[in-house]
Amino acid sequence: MNEILKRMSAAMLLAVLIAATGPAASSNGGRRVIYEGVVTELAAAEPSNDLWVTLKDLTRATRFAVKPQGVCRDELCFPIPKDRKAQFLVKKGGVTWFNLSEFARLTKQPTAYDEKHATWFFGPRPGQQNAFLSSLDAPEFSLPGMNGTKHSLSDFRGKKVFLVTWASW
Amino acid sequence: MPGWQKLYSELKSKNFEIISIAEDTGGVKDAGPPITAAKAEYTVLIDDTHLVTRLYDMVNVPTGVWINEKGKIVRPNEVAYVDNRFKGMHGVDAAPYLDALRDWAEKGDKSSFVMSADEMRARLKPQNPDHALASAEFALAEYLYATGNGADAIPHFKEAQRLNPESWNYKRQAWALSNAQKDYGTTFGDEVKKLNGKPYYAPRALPNEGKKN
Repeated sequence: MNEILKRMSAAMLLAVLIAATGPAASSNGGRRVIYEGVVTELAAAEPSNDLWVTLKDLTRATRFAVKPQGVCRDELCFPIPKDRKAQFLVKKGGVTWFNLSEFARLTKQPTAYDEKHATWFFGPRPGQQNAFLSSLDAPEFSLPGMNGTKHSLSDFRGKKVFLVTWASW
Repeated sequence: MPGWQKLYSELKSKNFEIISIAEDTGGVKDAGPPITAAKAEYTVLIDDTHLVTRLYDMVNVPTGVWINEKGKIVRPNEVAYVDNRFKGMHGVDAAPYLDALRDWAEKGDKSSFVMSADEMRARLKPQNPDHALASAEFALAEYLYATGNGADAIPHFKEAQRLNPESWNYKRQAWALSNAQKDYGTTFGDEVKKLNGKPYYAPRALPNEGKKN
């Protein structure tokens, strides 16, 4: 989690720098995906509302890989329904493309898409989002204070923690 | 925040910590001035992607969660006012909640305010799929805003608000980043008026207060 957040902050900063210093990649036809908080710029593809990625980009952006048994990451594998294989994988001119949007529909992962900026956002699968409901473990997070130093909820293990949100708005 | 500092001074010797989290897309720019002014001794963090809102499925501020020494939730999301400054608007009295916190700091898991696992499982629900989509739209909007495309973020903020109308966080945060009247055709004041007496917060029921609210 820590690592993901660190990568997210760095990627966001980079994106801010890109936006501040020149045209965003998307105006040159570039596409990007935000997957579990990590921003990844993707190889160009034919325009489509669904996000088709190369197998290399699939792993770069999500750490998932297409294997004989399904789409896998570590111990986790989602088999591709046999009769729907063509909706997930297409071969064009020697390149195999994977439909990440179809995969999100299969795994009930919430997705948002912005056409102008060619940016796709994939949120947590229900199994990830709702895991704490059975364990009752307080979801872990790591966030910076005013001086930028990160603090994690787990740093406070062994104490009673009253977590309280507020906002300037 | 001075109220929380007072409570913290009172309870910190009882193995009790406060983690206060600013749900502010604008980050230090927006949350920084009140934090600097408060000079709090407890931990104050800045959540510029509303991560905690999403992880704990929150819909409003202030929301309190009690987490025990083992990292288990022992009282889930509920309105957590520290004083009665805004009581005229929402009708929530702060005192019973502060007394509940004192009881928990003293007695830990033996406090009558600590919920059993069964009580909590009855209260905590899997995230509604529309709310999950709302969360994705909101996050995409925040990303567009953070990368200098605030105007393009607005349709996604609106979609998040449509998909999860219960979330005041999605409404108020988006309005605060915009001219709400011009971009959203409404304001916080107008929306509160529209409630017409309906509660602004999910009703709270502590063992030490009546069921009136």
